[in-house]
Amino acid sequence: MSASRLTKGGRIDRSRKVTFSWDGKTFEGFAGDTLASALMASGEQVLGRSFKYHRPRGIMSAGVEESGAIVTLGKGDRVEPNAKATMQELFDGLSASGQNAWPNVRCDVGAVLGLFGRFFSAGFYYKTFMGLPPFEWGRGTGIWMQYEKLIRKAAGMGEASREADPDSYDHVHAFCDMLVVGSGPAGLNAALTAAQQGKDVILVEQDFELGGDLLNQSDPAVETQRAELIDALQSAGVRIMTRTTTFGLYDYGTAGLLERVTDHVTAPSQDAPRQRFWTVRAGATVLATGALERTIAFTNNDRPGVMTAAAARTYLNRYGVLPGQNIVLCTNNDSAYVSASELAAAGAKVTVVDLRTDVGADQLGAMQTAGVAVKTGLVPLKALGGKTVSGVQLAREAGTGWAAAETLSCDLLLVSGGWSPVVNLLSHRGAKPAWDADLACFLPASCSENVVMAGSATGHWQAADCAASGIAAAKVAMGEDAQTPTLGGWDTPIKPVYEVRLPGSKTKSFVDPQHDVTCDDVRLAHQEGFVSVEHLKRYTTLGMATDQGKMGNVIGLALMAEAMGKDIPAVGTTRFRPPYTPIAIGALAGRNVGTHFKVMRRTPLHDWNLRHGATMTDAGLWHRPWYFARKGETINDAYIREATTVRETLGICDVSSLGKIAVQGPDASEFLNRVYTNAFAKLAVGKARYGIMLRDDGMVMDDGTTWRLSENDFLMTTTTTGAGRVMVFLEELLQTRWPDLKVHICSVSDQWAGVSIAGPQTRDVIAACMEDPDTVSADNLPFMGVKKIRLKGGIDGLIARISFSGELAYEIYVPSDYGEPMMDLLWSETEPRGGCLYGLEALGALRIEKGHVTGAELDGRVTIDDAGLGKMASTKKSFIGSTLRQRPELLREDRPQLVGIFPKDRSQTFNGGALLCKHGDNIGFGEGWVTACTHSPALGHWIGLGYIAGGHEAWQGKSVTATDPVRQGDVEVEIVSPHMFDPKGERMHG
Amino acid sequence: MANPVSPLHPLRQTGQFGNKSAPGVTLQEIPNFGMLQFATWGDTFAETSAEAARVAGCDTAPNPGQFNSGDNGILMRVEPLKWWLISSEGTEVPQSDLPPEHGAVLDMRQSRCWLRIGGERAETLLNHFLPLDLSPAVFGAGTVASTAFHHVGVTLWRDDAGYNLLLPRSSAVSLWELMSESARQYGLVEI
Repeated sequence: MSASRLTKGGRIDRSRKVTFSWDGKTFEGFAGDTLASALMASGEQVLGRSFKYHRPRGIMSAGVEESGAIVTLGKGDRVEPNAKATMQELFDGLSASGQNAWPNVRCDVGAVLGLFGRFFSAGFYYKTFMGLPPFEWGRGTGIWMQYEKLIRKAAGMGEASREADPDSYDHVHAFCDMLVVGSGPAGLNAALTAAQQGKDVILVEQDFELGGDLLNQSDPAVETQRAELIDALQSAGVRIMTRTTTFGLYDYGTAGLLERVTDHVTAPSQDAPRQRFWTVRAGATVLATGALERTIAFTNNDRPGVMTAAAARTYLNRYGVLPGQNIVLCTNNDSAYVSASELAAAGAKVTVVDLRTDVGADQLGAMQTAGVAVKTGLVPLKALGGKTVSGVQLAREAGTGWAAAETLSCDLLLVSGGWSPVVNLLSHRGAKPAWDADLACFLPASCSENVVMAGSATGHWQAADCAASGIAAAKVAMGEDAQTPTLGGWDTPIKPVYEVRLPGSKTKSFVDPQHDVTCDDVRLAHQEGFVSVEHLKRYTTLGMATDQGKMGNVIGLALMAEAMGKDIPAVGTTRFRPPYTPIAIGALAGRNVGTHFKVMRRTPLHDWNLRHGATMTDAGLWHRPWYFARKGETINDAYIREATTVRETLGICDVSSLGKIAVQGPDASEFLNRVYTNAFAKLAVGKARYGIMLRDDGMVMDDGTTWRLSENDFLMTTTTTGAGRVMVFLEELLQTRWPDLKVHICSVSDQWAGVSIAGPQTRDVIAACMEDPDTVSADNLPFMGVKKIRLKGGIDGLIARISFSGELAYEIYVPSDYGEPMMDLLWSETEPRGGCLYGLEALGALRIEKGHVTGAELDGRVTIDDAGLGKMASTKKSFIGSTLRQRPELLREDRPQLVGIFPKDRSQTFNGGALLCKHGDNIGFGEGWVTACTHSPALGHWIGLGYIAGGHEAWQGKSVTATDPVRQGDVEVEIVSPHMFDPKGERMHG
Repeated sequence: MANPVSPLHPLRQTGQFGNKSAPGVTLQEIPNFGMLQFATWGDTFAETSAEAARVAGCDTAPNPGQFNSGDNGILMRVEPLKWWLISSEGTEVPQSDLPPEHGAVLDMRQSRCWLRIGGERAETLLNHFLPLDLSPAVFGAGTVASTAFHHVGVTLWRDDAGYNLLLPRSSAVSLWELMSESARQYGLVEI
């Protein structure tokens, strides 16, 4: 192929030179070029290496179906492999390189693999699982683990960057009356028809210019027509999206679009996303997605310099590049003739080779006028040449097969084997395309949804028919009647041909060049029993991955049909799947990455905590203070100091993240009485009560305190991570089981900033912060008492005397915006007394000492009895779970029960998650497990909580091993009561 | 007296950010607003809706998906049996004396963060996150929707000045970051 840039013609802007690099060398093109057209104009011929055999590949097409010029774009953290050079708009600074080759695509050491091609047939990779013959006959895949690495290294495509993606991506939702996909003559006319009837229309085009095949025409009148249509669209208010691919169609008129925002920009704004992922919901959809020209399978049909006929016309008329000087154009249909005459007019020597012998006289006359030689009754048999095509050996029909014929020299071999309508998007909706024998292609089936196809995507081959088809499609989509033009449009019918080979010959004729799938691979798959097209696809990789059947689908099916002795409709086609073209993972993720992967919930005290030295940790979606390290302290130093301080003086802990649910209404107490295991019907106003709620199956669901604020108003608290689950369950109960109860619930978790203040000096500190210090006296606020309060500074709030740490403790809630002022106030009284701020780690140590349960213990497998709280299950009332908790299996005395755990050697430690086993019997699942552990400042050694069969009384005097084989090994432990510190609760009630 | 600290207080900054050529989006936090919930039992709908309208200072309570403006704020129907009254800072909202047998009133102030979103690209920006048709024909002034923003339940309404969002307070910073980062491409003006 000896391509050259023409001095005039095309849509490129010759006044705007564009500099780019290819494999490290600098090249120039023009604004309006693609990477492929610029490289072609620069004389580059080998742009890729094939997937398996490392065969040299050049430009095969001018669009999304490209299977040869597959390259890597960008550098460093912006590397994007497997990009199609035919789709990449050229811009200043674009960097592209070859892939799957060493040292480069022009001279690739890996090409030696081609010599062993017969060993890499269909299913080669799967066959390696069976072992390397003869060494592993019948013994499996021992060596495979080693040579798998070699196979993976030798095969494949480009390499993605291992660095984080530096770009941002947006998700966007859009709505419209009609979505039109494709802006060829059909799409433009469909959009205009709908818009002129007042419809809100979105027109989507994957190219950077509107027009589809109108862009590839040489007739100036076509450009005038295109410009007028675009003006009319804009006047009619059509929302036009170029550089946007509709990659999938989904339920209820939903389409997925990918908009490339800055992929063509040299220095994009750092605020602009690279791409936008659109979800469009349309009342109707018109698919004017065009058709792709097919090639023919013949020997070496993948050589650089073998290209589709229409692509050559695109390079000539759109990009001003004459792709060859001595061109042979092999066809079986009329569409290639216009390409031939235009190429000849541009100065090339052109020979048309047509399989058909009945080409019309007008056609032949036009060729003669254009100086194009025409040979009929011939097909390409073999492309000649190495890294570029130098000629073509032809064949003619001989009985039911082929016989070798003459050889023609050429530097460009164009092929047109017919056209395949792009039915992929409709296929996403489950509509199976139907084979049309006259047009030799699959045509779209009717769809039960309001999705209408138009243009060449429905088998119209003439521009005027496509335009009329677009108008009709829009009308049909709007519920009107419309006549569509007759299908086809060629003077002489197509004569189908899919493969040309001599009888018995073994050659490399490619069906799907992108995956190095040959005709022999298809036949081998059939021979090995893969008779379903879906199995064929998976076994050979034909039409998989980014190709999605664009290039070789029909040829593969034809070969399969031939092998099975059936016709193509009987074989059927595979189902095309989204995405139509590849989508960057970043676009799927959008902005939901890094810290935005999940919403981070911040307490009203978040910033205050950070300013006071907090290290945060995750608690569900919340960020909570983990510990407050002082200078030089480790986490262990910090939490032990904090827990010690709470026991000795006092500490403040942010508990704002606890779930808080307002329960209101005349039946609120009855509702709570049914939800909790213990009695709530008679809870007095101004009192709080600890409650446990079960699931229907009798297992513990959540726990917390509920405060009665007035006769009809309660404030329920839940665990931090259980809040959502509890809220949903309560709402379900009210809406489906007890709709007669006059109760409303509402999450007020975000409304309140809450702290727990614990320790012997707590009452003094709180009193000092109150407008009325007497509010929190022991008489005025006894244990489990609740009050409305006013702190100094006029901060109104609620206080409850509740303890999770086992110390004298209170929880104070104020409206969230007053959280920081409250903390300033409390801290000003706490710090001078030697008090501290404490985080979850210290809170954990304090509660483990007391044997108080959290989510680690209430893990969904635990009954209220297992947790040692069975006395809280009322026997005088019914409550959620009260029946099923009585199942015999849940009442067995040897069920694992909550216990405390000490190391026998008090200097030792053990891990959470360790199994508790009978000493000397460290097998299986053991007798129990450790749920939590900590250093106990109060006891001076390591302690833990866990479950063990029968509870602590069953293990008195018996040796138990905490076994942790993958981390720490075995530690001998004692099983004790879970109430390891202040078991009578004297400090809490003090 | 103590000074309240709004959820976005640490992040708020006035000025234009991102695309300098075209200020396409304005974002403004409205602090210190009041928020009352009126919930009815269904069979006392008339009584509760009348009380909600009285407290809001408007003639009637709105239908689902709509709000009415009253002397004391805007009253929006957020659920079939619930209304929210949003009142600006300093508004003296009358005490509700709704009896429990008619419904429940809940003070929800400071549970939400109120954002106003304006500018030519406000609709586009919101559609980065909200799966709602916000075209004027569908979501005109006076419309309310409960929807989801990055899996978080939010409330959106449109008045003559633009869009308003109520974000749960604990998620407000996270959602603000997403919104403001995305808005910079259109030219973000923070008020």
